[in-house]
Amino acid sequence: MKRILLGIHLFVFMVFPLTLFAGPPLITVEGHVNEVLNILRDPAFKGDASKKTGEEKVRDISDRMFDFTELSKRTLGANWKNFNRNQQEEFIQLYRDILQDAYMDKIMSYTDEKVVFQKEVMLSENIAEVQSYIITKRAETPIYYRVILKGNEWRVYDVIIEGVSLIKNYRTQFREILSNKSPEDLLGILREKAGKA
Amino acid sequence: MEQKIFTKSPIKFLIPFFAFFSFTFLFYTNLFAIPSAPVEEMPSIQDAEITNPPAEQIGHEMMTPTEPETSENENEFIEEEEEVLHIADPLYPWNKAMYHFNDRFYFWVLKPAAQGYSAVVPEDIRLGVSNFFYNLTTPIRFVSSLLQLKMKVAGNELIRFAYNSTVGVLGFADAAKAHLDISRHDEDLGQTIGSYGIGHGFYIVWPFIGPSSLRDTAGKIGDVFLNPVYYVNPTEAAVGIAAYDEVNETSFHIGDYEDFKRSAIDPYISMRDAYLQYRKKKVDE
Repeated sequence: MKRILLGIHLFVFMVFPLTLFAGPPLITVEGHVNEVLNILRDPAFKGDASKKTGEEKVRDISDRMFDFTELSKRTLGANWKNFNRNQQEEFIQLYRDILQDAYMDKIMSYTDEKVVFQKEVMLSENIAEVQSYIITKRAETPIYYRVILKGNEWRVYDVIIEGVSLIKNYRTQFREILSNKSPEDLLGILREKAGKA
Repeated sequence: MEQKIFTKSPIKFLIPFFAFFSFTFLFYTNLFAIPSAPVEEMPSIQDAEITNPPAEQIGHEMMTPTEPETSENENEFIEEEEEVLHIADPLYPWNKAMYHFNDRFYFWVLKPAAQGYSAVVPEDIRLGVSNFFYNLTTPIRFVSSLLQLKMKVAGNELIRFAYNSTVGVLGFADAAKAHLDISRHDEDLGQTIGSYGIGHGFYIVWPFIGPSSLRDTAGKIGDVFLNPVYYVNPTEAAVGIAAYDEVNETSFHIGDYEDFKRSAIDPYISMRDAYLQYRKKKVDE
């Protein structure tokens, strides 16, 4: 019996060495989402004054949850190489700010929707898809997180809502802009969008 | 600025020609090449040349191999690059104008109507109305499922219709979901044509309806004939019912469009891409 158990352990460790090390992707993402939900449910962050504190906390969690560098690289795709180091750095910052600003209101307007984490699918040895659903009285909206193992941690680099991938959607937009404008021009557009012109 | 393009230029008159050429284009590229995957845009050399930053902007670090991560991930980039969906947009001036029209229509008409409506009508009743209209369009989903030989989905549609029309009181309650655990499954004729391997053709934005494509427009016309509301007499009543359905649906989505616009860098392109991705998922399902 012991030998069988040992065999199973060896097998599991051989097959999933990375996942065991970092913990399952689903648990990581679910943990971050629950952290956010706890803030949203906390009556202490409900008032107008304390709402700002809540937003700051949500931003902090999203910084840990997402890998904005990976997200930026994959969004720009082949165009990434056309940005120099400083431009890349600035792009990551601006893109992050724009995404956080855009989705903050949506997140903060959360009421009582149920979030269910269903399963994770390994797409390669260091990339996984965590499948979750937001359940309201009216519909179930599938939200899939694409995560990549960075060092010791699973970090989100794409969110797919109802089949629409965030990074693909932005990639199409950026590619259209970069087809007749320079990276500097694009950064200018982003600066304006982020309110840092 | 985009508006000017439409109102000022003589491009308006070219639209019929665009349409004609697009149809011929579609005929040759699509109908003859079944199954045709969505045309994929490859980063061309031309693109790369245009997007190259001016020489003085290329820092020396770009030249030196100090970016091992980038080159490591390059293969993955290219893999994902290929997945980006592309659609011809020969009606761009028309589409852009219609995009703006729909934008105004939403903010000036639809949103105020939906807001007023939802202030007066409680959510549970709006939910019932939404379910009622969904139940009414069962023929669209049933026929589409049959045409795709999705027998289980077709059967589930029949069960849902029978159960929700009776136990669910004319479809106001989704009893089939609650009691029998049979969930909604969206099918329409546009998806059906797509499942046969026929591509979108080209992108087209309709007033009031929003983003669509040649293929999905053809599907939509079929859907209309399968929608019982179409057979309501007189036509004014049918239009009124359809408008009410739209306002009721919108009452659940107030704020979504605003969020979408806020998140987009170029809302027109973003919407076009989201439409493609969304429809692709529906066809693949």
